[in-house]
Amino acid sequence: MAKAKLPPVIQLVGLKKRFGIGDAEHFALDGIDLVIQKGEFIAIMGPSGCGKTTLLNILGLLDRSTDGDYFLDGQSVATIGARRQARIRSQQIGFIFQSFNLISRLNVIENVALPLTYKGTQRTKRLIVASDMLHNFHLGEREYYMPHQLSGGQTQRVAIARALVNEPSIILADEPTGNLDSNSSHIIMEELSELHKRGNTIIMVTHNPRLTSYASRVITMIDGTVKKDTKVRVRTPRAPRKRPLGKSSRKVKT
Amino acid sequence: MRFLLFNHIQNAVESLRSNRLRSYLTMLGVTIGIASITTILALSTGASKVVSDQVDALGGNIAVVRPGSSSNEPLTNITLSSPQRDFASSTLTSYDVMLIKQIKHVDKVAPIFVMSGSIRGDSTAPVGSNIVATTPDLALISNLKVREGQFLDDTVSPNTAVIGTQLSVDVFGTEQSIGKSVNIRGKPFTVIGILGRLNNPINYNSIDFDNSVIIGFNSGVLLNGGASQIQQINVRSDSVTNLAGVIIDINKKLSESHKGENDFSVLSGDQISQPTSQLFYTIAGITAAVAGISLLVGGIGIMNIMLVSVAERTREIGIRKALGASNSDVAAQFIIESLAIGIGGGISGYIIGYVAAFGISTFLTFDPVLNWQIAAIAIAISFVMGTLFGLYPAIRAARKDPIASLREYS
Repeated sequence: MAKAKLPPVIQLVGLKKRFGIGDAEHFALDGIDLVIQKGEFIAIMGPSGCGKTTLLNILGLLDRSTDGDYFLDGQSVATIGARRQARIRSQQIGFIFQSFNLISRLNVIENVALPLTYKGTQRTKRLIVASDMLHNFHLGEREYYMPHQLSGGQTQRVAIARALVNEPSIILADEPTGNLDSNSSHIIMEELSELHKRGNTIIMVTHNPRLTSYASRVITMIDGTVKKDTKVRVRTPRAPRKRPLGKSSRKVKT
Repeated sequence: MRFLLFNHIQNAVESLRSNRLRSYLTMLGVTIGIASITTILALSTGASKVVSDQVDALGGNIAVVRPGSSSNEPLTNITLSSPQRDFASSTLTSYDVMLIKQIKHVDKVAPIFVMSGSIRGDSTAPVGSNIVATTPDLALISNLKVREGQFLDDTVSPNTAVIGTQLSVDVFGTEQSIGKSVNIRGKPFTVIGILGRLNNPINYNSIDFDNSVIIGFNSGVLLNGGASQIQQINVRSDSVTNLAGVIIDINKKLSESHKGENDFSVLSGDQISQPTSQLFYTIAGITAAVAGISLLVGGIGIMNIMLVSVAERTREIGIRKALGASNSDVAAQFIIESLAIGIGGGISGYIIGYVAAFGISTFLTFDPVLNWQIAAIAIAISFVMGTLFGLYPAIRAARKDPIASLREYS
């Protein structure tokens, strides 16, 4: 089958990242070998300071490795120029952050439309696409709210909508539920596993072992190396999907 | 290729809007600088236009002979045209006037001999009043109108004078001074005519006729102890087509009589107004340099605010980069912001500058000039300022490391 011959989405060979020089030298990543296929939902676990976020930054082309190779879709990123890398970030990679990272002076819909700006989409089209995306996340009625007017869970859903608006093939999530209560966490994780089922590759960094149950593969890191790499069967969602903070509850009856 | 210019403009407008007051205050710095430059340029162009309009209005058949060689050095021209000049000795003589009169196709010749000295009627004339000794032809060449009485002619007594309206008011307290006696350098002259008010102290004769008393050329020479000091000879040819030939002839004749010394110059057309224009352009240049300093301050203001803005939005820059903005996208956004400030300030400065220019011109004898050059200068300066002073902050923004920026909490 032709599909099988496709190179893995991500392949890391002996990846190293050094911080500091001389005596203060410290390897945040110390020789990582990893192959990630299309459609995997990977949870990266590990204690603080083991290099999870650094790895995610390198995968997201925000940072460069000191040593080793990183092949994205079969191409070594070392050979890709900064401008192309920005283009890849814009079109193939979606970021979800622990601290949401919405731009506070832009309203919800403008935040979601932001990645489209760098793709060259026209304003009207941007807003239409962003609006569609927000409706998918049941945030259609919050389009013109400012970020500070939203709850944590809503903010993170906006951030996810923003990460998805460009239809990226890879989604990188850095502790997406780190700032959320368990209820909101659950909703967010449901959203992510939904995306996974639609064929997106998701790489998530987390502290919380409970969340690994959503993943198809769990990687445990210690001191910049991969300690354990286990594939798990995707569990069928047990809990019924939480009713979204949706229309019916807010609709004013006339 | 992606074409992101409009997207960058929208981004920039959004961020300027979110800091409205700050944007307007920064713009104000540019506005003040551009406004002062616009005012200065509009007024100085207006002033020199007055002179060239006069020359145009006289028709194309006027030539002017001035002492001293014509030099292209503006500074020399300025000293020559300075209204309160003190020549050690003019190189033009009564004999030259006679020579010019003999040239073929010369229609009228009027030497102008400006003297300093006391003018007394019922009271003494203020400083800045002129005694002008000339021939009757001046009225025709320079288009001087007599409001009352008559101008000098060959038949009147040498002890008669024509007086400017303002000077008449100054020394007699009335505009009706015909028949009164005015003492010029202690010698009595009878007023036989009053000039109509001209209201243009700036002209190619460098004489404010409203504040002058005009006497016959020979009377002037006598008053000055028999020596003439001719500051200018106005020559009119009988037709426009003959002017070029007349100028050549004047040059030839005077060269002969001056024994080949190049100590005079014959000017026509725009050249006549040039020294006056040069003077105004130089004054304008100096004032513009002062205005330039305010522009520099405005520009530093832009840079300052842009640097603050970059520092304040470090996190936003990180987010934008993570979402796919390249370094040049980030740089473009900030450059466009500072450009918008610059051009916004430029446009408002241009408008305010003209409002000021027209306001000031109500106290002056000439109007400011509206032309595309001044608009182009104002816009070009503000464009350059926006780019120049926005460049460094934009580069700083573009070079920010996305990871470090994202870590920064705001």
